[in-house]
Amino acid sequence: MALRSLNLPGIGTKYELETEKKDIIAIFFLKSGNIQMYTLPHDSSTPCVAELTPPEARRIGAILSGAIMEADKESVEIAFSALSDLRISVHTYIIGKHCAGKSLEELQIRARTGATVIAVSRGGRNIINPPPGFTFEEGDAIVAIGEADQLRQLEQVILVT
Amino acid sequence: MEGVVLALFVCLVLALITKKLALPSIPFYIIAGLLIGKSGLGLVGVDGVAQFLTHLGLLFLLFFLGLEIKPDRIWSNHRAIAQSGLLDLHINVIIGFVAAYALGFSFADALVVAAAFFISSTAMAVTSLVENKKLLMREAETIVWLMVFEDIVVILVLAFFGSSGEHPLIVLAKTVSLLLALILITHTGRDYITSILKRDDELPVLLTFSAVLGIAALASAWGIPESFMVIAFGTILGTIDPVSFEVHSRPFKDVFLVVFFVFFGITTDIFAEGVSVVAIAGVSIVAVFSKYLSGIAIGHFVHGNRNSGIEIWANTIGRGEFSIAIAALWGSGAVSSTIATMVIVTSITGAFVAKYSNAIRNVLAWPREKNRGSPPPG
Repeated sequence: MALRSLNLPGIGTKYELETEKKDIIAIFFLKSGNIQMYTLPHDSSTPCVAELTPPEARRIGAILSGAIMEADKESVEIAFSALSDLRISVHTYIIGKHCAGKSLEELQIRARTGATVIAVSRGGRNIINPPPGFTFEEGDAIVAIGEADQLRQLEQVILVT
Repeated sequence: MEGVVLALFVCLVLALITKKLALPSIPFYIIAGLLIGKSGLGLVGVDGVAQFLTHLGLLFLLFFLGLEIKPDRIWSNHRAIAQSGLLDLHINVIIGFVAAYALGFSFADALVVAAAFFISSTAMAVTSLVENKKLLMREAETIVWLMVFEDIVVILVLAFFGSSGEHPLIVLAKTVSLLLALILITHTGRDYITSILKRDDELPVLLTFSAVLGIAALASAWGIPESFMVIAFGTILGTIDPVSFEVHSRPFKDVFLVVFFVFFGITTDIFAEGVSVVAIAGVSIVAVFSKYLSGIAIGHFVHGNRNSGIEIWANTIGRGEFSIAIAALWGSGAVSSTIATMVIVTSITGAFVAKYSNAIRNVLAWPREKNRGSPPPG
């Protein structure tokens, strides 16, 4: 994996990476603030390209750094430079049919999985730190925080079964 | 005053249209100027206000050029820059000069035409690479360094030809001492300047604006080349905080440069007596082909593949801001008409060739070299 960076006057900064399989990925941070990402397969001479806004680029970055993301769920992993072994994930989920009508207390989320629900978004309204008696409705978007394992538990034990 | 306002609104409409169509806007500003000025309807003439704003446009264009020049970065890439740059310089200056001289320009006029003929538009080349998403091409880097080389040539041209009637050595001594004084002042006051630039009131903009105008005024009062001094000042300030100075001078550059282009068109009279249509058309057509030759030469010698040259050609056909600057500084009537037309023809041709360069490459390519890999430079 050879990474080289280069400053191109008038254009911006270029980062080029050759993968183990000899494919080339190049990222250009343009002066306009946008980012162009090129990929060039080792057996082709025509690159593919996408232009990203900074928020889009951050999103791609989050996915590539190992976070899980599906169409209606996404997650961010937070790492602190001073606490290198502490990795916290924040994940959003959509409440399905079988959790609807149940309260946080009934579902015993923290006791059974270790993860904590820190916010709920319902119809454009946000409830931060929902109380134990809070009852879910189908379609609520919840934000849960915890370690990756705890969130996987939450997904498998509470939300799916 | 009304003239300037009319010109600005015409440019605003043109800018909206050209940005929508992803075309370079410089040729259209000039066309607009030709239409509403001397060559066309004669609606707008030049007054004191227009002259002053035009001058500001030129100053900020040059200041911006200076900010972009990073001497250390250029030095660390000087091999890559020099090889392709010298090919480009020799081929285009010689062809430009011979063409202009053969078409009936005087020796001095032919030199001015050759200088404008040689310098491709950095702004157009960069926009073309970004907009057409060609940054990954091996040729992209070569093109970027080629533009840097051309910018350096612009600076040297401005330094040599911009001086007053005084003895060159005196001018040189004055220039060097002013430069040293500027470096000394900006570097001892570095922290103070940086603290001003960080403020969010009117101070940073006021500082940038008055510094640029101040240096220009000082240079012309002292009889040293004003254009060169403004560029050098930009480079010196660029070592302190290029981003802040760029942010604070950009609005001035953007507006005044448009005024500069449109008034260049307004003051140019392409139907004046003594302006030969054959010469104007000839220079414009040769300008497109000459960059083709230099592109192929660079492709052959730098990339080992003449087909690379087609890409280099596609992105460097357009002449623009610096050609106009040269014409505005030294061009006689006939020279200005020729350069105005050349900028219009080459920049529009260039925009289309760059957009469809893949197809053009397939048509023009040397089949033997088609699939040959081209090693990156350096």
